[in-house]
Amino acid sequence: MINKGGKVLLEVKNLKAEVDGVEILKGVDLTVRAGEVHAIMGVNGSGKSTFSKVLAGHPDYTVTGGTATFEGKELFSLAAEERARAGLFLAFQYPVEIPGVSNSALLRLAYNTLQNERGLEELDPLEFEDLVHEKIKVVEMDPSFLDRSVNEGFSGGEKKRNEILQMAILEPKLAILDETDSGLDIDALRIVANGVNSLLTADNAVVMVTHYQRLLNYIVPDYVHVMDAGRIVRTGGKELALELEARGYDWVRAAA
Amino acid sequence: MSSAIQNLVNQPYKHGFVTDIETETVPKGLSEDVIRLISKKKNEPEWLLDFRLSAYRHWLTMEEPAWASVSYPKIDFQDIIYFAQPKPKKQLASMDEVDPELKRTFEKLGVPLHEQKIMAGVAVDVIFDSVSVTTTYKAKLAEVGIIFCSFSEAVHQHPELVKQYLGSVVPSGDNFYAALNSAVFTDGSFCFIPKGTKCPMDLSTYFRINTEGSGQFERTLIIAEEGASVCYLEGCTAPQFDTNQLHAAVVELVALDNADIKYSTVQNWYAGDENGKGGIFNFVTKRGLCKGINSKISWTQVETGSAITWKYPSCVLLGDNSIGEFYSVALTNHLQQADTGSKMIHIGKNTRSRIISKGISTGRSSNSYRGLVKIGSRATGARNYSQCDSMLIGDNCGANTFPTIDVQNVTAQVEHEASTSKIGEDQMFFFAQRGIGSEEAVSMIINGFCKDVFVHLPMEFAVEATKLLGLKLEGSVG
Amino acid sequence: MLTKEQCFEQLLLGKAVKADGWLESIRVEALESAKALNFPSERHDDWRFTDLSPLFQHGFQPVTSFVRLTLADIENYLIPGSTRLVFVDGCFDAGLSDLAQAGAGVTVKSLVECFGDPQVEAQFARNLSFKQDAFAALNTHFFEDGAFVHVSSENVTGEAVAPIHVLHVATKRETPSAIYHRCLVVMESNSRATVVEDYAGLNGGIYFSNAVTEVVLKDHAQLQHVRVQREEKSAFHIGHCSVKSGRGSVYAATSLAFGARVSRHTQHVMQLGEGAEIRLNGLALIAGRQIADTHTRIDHAVPGGKSVQLHKCIADGAAHAVFSGKVIVHPGAKGTDSAQSSRNLLLSGKARIDTQPQLEIFNDDVSCKHGATVGQIDADALFFLKSRGLSEERARNLLTHAFAGEIIARIPVPSLVESLSRAILEERMKENA
Repeated sequence: MINKGGKVLLEVKNLKAEVDGVEILKGVDLTVRAGEVHAIMGVNGSGKSTFSKVLAGHPDYTVTGGTATFEGKELFSLAAEERARAGLFLAFQYPVEIPGVSNSALLRLAYNTLQNERGLEELDPLEFEDLVHEKIKVVEMDPSFLDRSVNEGFSGGEKKRNEILQMAILEPKLAILDETDSGLDIDALRIVANGVNSLLTADNAVVMVTHYQRLLNYIVPDYVHVMDAGRIVRTGGKELALELEARGYDWVRAAA
Repeated sequence: MSSAIQNLVNQPYKHGFVTDIETETVPKGLSEDVIRLISKKKNEPEWLLDFRLSAYRHWLTMEEPAWASVSYPKIDFQDIIYFAQPKPKKQLASMDEVDPELKRTFEKLGVPLHEQKIMAGVAVDVIFDSVSVTTTYKAKLAEVGIIFCSFSEAVHQHPELVKQYLGSVVPSGDNFYAALNSAVFTDGSFCFIPKGTKCPMDLSTYFRINTEGSGQFERTLIIAEEGASVCYLEGCTAPQFDTNQLHAAVVELVALDNADIKYSTVQNWYAGDENGKGGIFNFVTKRGLCKGINSKISWTQVETGSAITWKYPSCVLLGDNSIGEFYSVALTNHLQQADTGSKMIHIGKNTRSRIISKGISTGRSSNSYRGLVKIGSRATGARNYSQCDSMLIGDNCGANTFPTIDVQNVTAQVEHEASTSKIGEDQMFFFAQRGIGSEEAVSMIINGFCKDVFVHLPMEFAVEATKLLGLKLEGSVG
Repeated sequence: MLTKEQCFEQLLLGKAVKADGWLESIRVEALESAKALNFPSERHDDWRFTDLSPLFQHGFQPVTSFVRLTLADIENYLIPGSTRLVFVDGCFDAGLSDLAQAGAGVTVKSLVECFGDPQVEAQFARNLSFKQDAFAALNTHFFEDGAFVHVSSENVTGEAVAPIHVLHVATKRETPSAIYHRCLVVMESNSRATVVEDYAGLNGGIYFSNAVTEVVLKDHAQLQHVRVQREEKSAFHIGHCSVKSGRGSVYAATSLAFGARVSRHTQHVMQLGEGAEIRLNGLALIAGRQIADTHTRIDHAVPGGKSVQLHKCIADGAAHAVFSGKVIVHPGAKGTDSAQSSRNLLLSGKARIDTQPQLEIFNDDVSCKHGATVGQIDADALFFLKSRGLSEERARNLLTHAFAGEIIARIPVPSLVESLSRAILEERMKENA
């Protein structure tokens, strides 16, 4: 829902960033309010994945200009884990494997860290198990995945569902889904999308970074942004995505 | 990321204090006279003195092994105190008579000497420098026929058993350090589980070196008769001295038909400072003999201490269908050197063995896995699986893997795998993005790396092991 | 029967060809090294699995007379369409050789003709550590001739060029002979070539083949290096191959050991240029009382190196196969990617296999792994073949052949793949008969 009067969660102004001395983001502006769903689209190399990693604080990227605030706080002065604890969540395009660390141990540690941050009680393993068994339904995952090492031996679709499970547990204020649809078959796509939709409230927001329109059939965006060569070159409603699907990106880039 | 790791692995050694207690020592140096003196002080029978002297004479003809990937200045064996014991040593009637200073020492180390306070009903034999201070729960164990006492006591109370098994697994001339130990060993633990008995509690020995300049040469002998089983734990610490100290122990395990021995070690001898000054030279021979059919010996070790570790807990699988296992985590930092691994000698039919080794190296340390899997010509149907993984943290450390596989039987199946990894930037970022700080992330990753070994540790030890690695347990072990 | 010392003394009685200048000083140095090193003791870490005592029993005489062979004598070993250098008992035989196929920019000659060549002076005996290896030192002192292969940067499409076949044959003599083989391969930048070294014996006989090969790959050069050791079963073969690989180069070796009573192949590859790729394939297929030992070492000394190794041993009868493979990643060799695999098959109750894959890593930015297995013929596969009507023997032969075939198939010379495959199958049949 477009929420003009809503609380501003994320405000990015003229953001510039580079990796290995190469400038990738060349002045990005974006405002996300509570309750909104945004989609950032663009061709490979346009900078959309970089944008999500820069917001989350990936160490490979250096911010060289511009500002970003998250609920009014200066985002770039926070370490990656502080951003996460503040409620900014990144669903990874390529989720990493962590051998020997069980999914449930990771989830509980992450959850309890957040509870501490919020001044709330930590959950003991039994209480947490109840919570996680409730949340796992959101992504239609088998509970046996909880005892397996994080992402180890998971299929592409299982990894993506696991990301959404983490989102369900951590209940972020702003979730950035980086190419969450890539490599998913149609059933997995539906499950992931349903999961995300069920987590949407008036107080949180989602930014989807994607190449294709198909995810947007399931998670309907309020705003669609087109990124090209490190800038957002066009913003429109959900119909913009359909137009991109039909006409490709060249006309937007030419117009920009 | 690296600073978090550095903080984690560079925690100060917590057991480096010295107990101020009057100690009786024999003069430095080694000779037949010193050996006779040790034997006399311990009031030993003639046969044991003969065992020592023959080992000593053999030792004189031997050379220090040089094949391990470790380097250290030449040890002056005449500059070592071979016997040190807290005074006064009289027969203790009860625990209450233990010197209060000693009690305080062990409480500080987390090993209370009062039975009622002892962790989860584990029986403990406590070795301070060269001698056993006390053994808890002795009476209770005696009710089911289990003998658990100091080695010296066993020599007097159960000479027939000691005589039968001493040197039966590690012969006195087996190797340089085993020969030295056989000549000068001072005390240790003795444990005998009679036929058909499952030991009702975990048995444990806690080793403490206190006296500067002394060596520690203990000897442990565990015998599990037919159908018996026991779970045995061993812990070690030493004060912080600038000089190196030699620890050359021998552990012998014997498992008869259907017996089962599980031996776990958390080794945290003083490792020296960050420049490699001081620390224990840990040259240990540990070997188990699966003598009977269907017997099983399992070694689990967490090696974090010592300036140099040289140990290869091994299994000789003599009985048909017997099983040998070795699970190891070795962490080295600063200038520590670890050369450790296992030998599995398959002699009996259908024998099985499994080796899981995890090495973590950081600082300027060197960490080597060295192993031997030997399948003898009569070991029809033998199987082995070995997995050796190394994790390197930083640019200045080394990790080596030296397995040897020697197969002389056509029906054997032997498999060895090794890999090397590091803590990935992407893994660290993933943890951070889930709100988990870098110290905790490293701890989880390392615990995850070691998980296949930690699951084989008894619970109390698993806790201690994770603490030792400087890590929080938080749900990642189990 | 000689003692070890007598055997060594006897070898020192060999006659070294008098040389001039730089070569003479190398020869002198090599002799000193050989004398200082002597034969390795059985306790030497690099030799402890290999029983050399059958070798030491003989007094090997230097080769003094030249045996004239015809093409018909070596017919079984010829590779059609190849450039061929033939050495008989270590002496170059121009009549049996065929250099017509050598393409532009490719020099294939006998070494003695090339000692004036600055390339030879710059590289010969500079790439191997004869100061650590008595056999290599003996070779360096006593070798009479050898092969020199030089591929210039002109030849950048080596795959189209004929393989270079360096064939060493040993003849039967009245007394056991000591034969020295030598080979120097220099690959200039961007050049490509395939070199096949082939060691064979004719008509039985006891002899001691001592072979040393040096390979230098300059930047982006690519070499396919095949080594076939099919000496007589009564012979002895000790080979040493040192390789230096430059930036972006590709060294792919396939080494096969079938023959000799006792054989040893030591191969040392040093990655000296960034991003070099090293592929080592090895096979030892032995029976009877044969001993075949392969020792390889790969040094990753600079960043970005890649090595992939697959070594297989198959031991039948009372044979003993040994493999030791060391991979060392030096400090600073960032981004090294190495995988080593040792696969072994025991075919008989009396055979023995020792394998020792070793990793030494001094750098955290690496991906290294190794694996080793020792096993027997898969019972399920055997049962399957028998259920399709094959006899036990035939089924076993087929499976053994398939196990070996994976390595043989990696030889980039189809006619050699075919002839070796056939030879192995025939040999297996004989073994079982």
